[in-house]
Amino acid sequence: MLFPTLAFGIFFLFVYFTSWSLDRENGRRKVFLLLASWFFYAQWDWRFVGLLILSSVLNWGVAALIARNDNATQRKWLVALGVLVNLLILGFFKYYGFFIEQMADLLTRVGWERDLPLLQVVLPVGISFFTFQGISYVVDVHRRTTAPANSLLDVMLLMSFFPQLVAGPIIRASDLLPQFAKSPRLTREAATLGLLLIVWGLFKKTVVASELSVNLVDPVFFDPSAYGAFDIAAAVYGYAVQIYCDFSAYSDMAIGTGLLLGYSFPRNFDQPYRASSMQQFWRRWHISLSSWLRDYLYVPLGGGKRGLWSSSLNVMITMLLGGLWHGAAWTFVAWGALHGGVQVIERLGRAAFGGRKVIPTVVGVLVTFHIVCLGWILFRAETFELAWAMLEGLGRMGPLAVTTPFMLGLIVIGLGMHWLPPRAAEGLAVRLKAAPSLTLGLLVGAAFLLVEAMRPDGVAPFIYFQF
Amino acid sequence: MADRPDDPNDPIDPFPTDFPEPPPSRFPPVGEEAASIAGVAADPVDPPSDWNAGADAHDLPLGTKRPGRWKALGQLAFPPPPPADEEVLAARDRRWTSRVILIVAAFMLIFNGASIQNWARQQAPNWFTVTVQQVADVWMTQVSQLGADKPRQGIRETYQDAREARFPGQGPA
Repeated sequence: MLFPTLAFGIFFLFVYFTSWSLDRENGRRKVFLLLASWFFYAQWDWRFVGLLILSSVLNWGVAALIARNDNATQRKWLVALGVLVNLLILGFFKYYGFFIEQMADLLTRVGWERDLPLLQVVLPVGISFFTFQGISYVVDVHRRTTAPANSLLDVMLLMSFFPQLVAGPIIRASDLLPQFAKSPRLTREAATLGLLLIVWGLFKKTVVASELSVNLVDPVFFDPSAYGAFDIAAAVYGYAVQIYCDFSAYSDMAIGTGLLLGYSFPRNFDQPYRASSMQQFWRRWHISLSSWLRDYLYVPLGGGKRGLWSSSLNVMITMLLGGLWHGAAWTFVAWGALHGGVQVIERLGRAAFGGRKVIPTVVGVLVTFHIVCLGWILFRAETFELAWAMLEGLGRMGPLAVTTPFMLGLIVIGLGMHWLPPRAAEGLAVRLKAAPSLTLGLLVGAAFLLVEAMRPDGVAPFIYFQF
Repeated sequence: MADRPDDPNDPIDPFPTDFPEPPPSRFPPVGEEAASIAGVAADPVDPPSDWNAGADAHDLPLGTKRPGRWKALGQLAFPPPPPADEEVLAARDRRWTSRVILIVAAFMLIFNGASIQNWARQQAPNWFTVTVQQVADVWMTQVSQLGADKPRQGIRETYQDAREARFPGQGPA
């Protein structure tokens, strides 16, 4: 069940009215939201609801044992066990095929060819998100930065809550568990912001991302040799806009849906193409993942405490694993290596110039954006050959085939969003919250109608569902 | 001298002039007294007649504005309620949000009925989807007679024109 569908709209209306009718009974409300979340998840594959429940029970149990234990050594073993179990679940479903294939290749090269047990493992949607959530919960309880949940119900709802279940943001226990502890409160401002984010997300996904994907990006990435430099450049810029509009749209709609149900999620995107350095880009892009990688990977590796070279190595390891998190393929690892390598160069540069600013902001923004676009070629191409064909095509002149004024307009709109006031939706919500319900209802309805009239029939799954 | 032993010594004054302070009336006259009862501070005493001889406009006293006579009477009859508590405010905001959502849903049902039709046509045929499709067809016929499908069609046609635009010399897609 995708957000921008009629089925989800009907599902949400039912959840909204039923959950608020239970607002005086927080426990029952949470049970209802949990059942609704399982129903939502079962629309992809009902068998994986069991995996979700198993994962929740494991994380709740390990965290409860950690919280009840005062022995530091035992606590360490327990947290290691919790992290390991989560990684095993993720590793089996997401990386089993990848590692077996690599192992078979390696054995063939050294002359020990063997028939390895290849399995067609179906990837449960959103597994990367809910396992990372589980790891953060167990580690936070171990670090005593989060109190253990009051009940198994809270942990289950934390890991299954449908707005953020399949593609994030990766919401930590410290953000959501305190909100589960009491009956939520819905304010006019939160509701207005929620509606605005849903409309805005719908526009980004169904109009901008879908059009660019179907009519520009997919044809060019399918066969770059059939297109000239302008089409290939437009497809690369188009993909930069598409992936931003696709993923940030999901986050916006998730945050908006959460707000209408009375829960607030942290921001996941902050105009990332305005970044003037790669380090800044990762403070603006998929913030919940980058902060997760910082707190649970970079810092445990030693962070920046042991000097420049050690911190550079840690950044590189973090970004390589971050790349692998996105998908079980070497192109994703190369994408992570590019981002990590540029961040290392930036660190060395800052150290060499004593932290002085030597590159003007405009130049920094342009250079960073183009390095990010280069990374998107690796991210989008299924093989290195295809990525190389895209790069080669940038030097080949040819007539414009798929780049139309409309496509260019969408790219300009997608990039122009980054130069809107940074908190435009929040500011608009503050102004509109005083409007009568009829006025706001008609305004939001007209905005929905505008988007619905423009969108193509049908909707493609969100890009980040595969991760 | 008293005629009877129980007669008071002092004769009763038929027209007494020394009264104790009467209790405050529950129904004071409308005006200044009403304003003070309603919780509005009374103006300070009148300034002397030459009070504005050397005064600057910015120095004028900013006494609390007195409510009008009728408003004061209204406040007396129907005192303003105490501020609503959190629960009342929360319920009010929830009702407001629910109204907005229902208005949006009704708006979409009227002006975007084609989406339901499209959705029903894309589903595998079964009792439910065929029923939805039939209902959607009837609904669309009705709303199109009222012209409610025109805004969507108009936007879509303009949008399609924009999509099909090409650079000079560029072939069709």
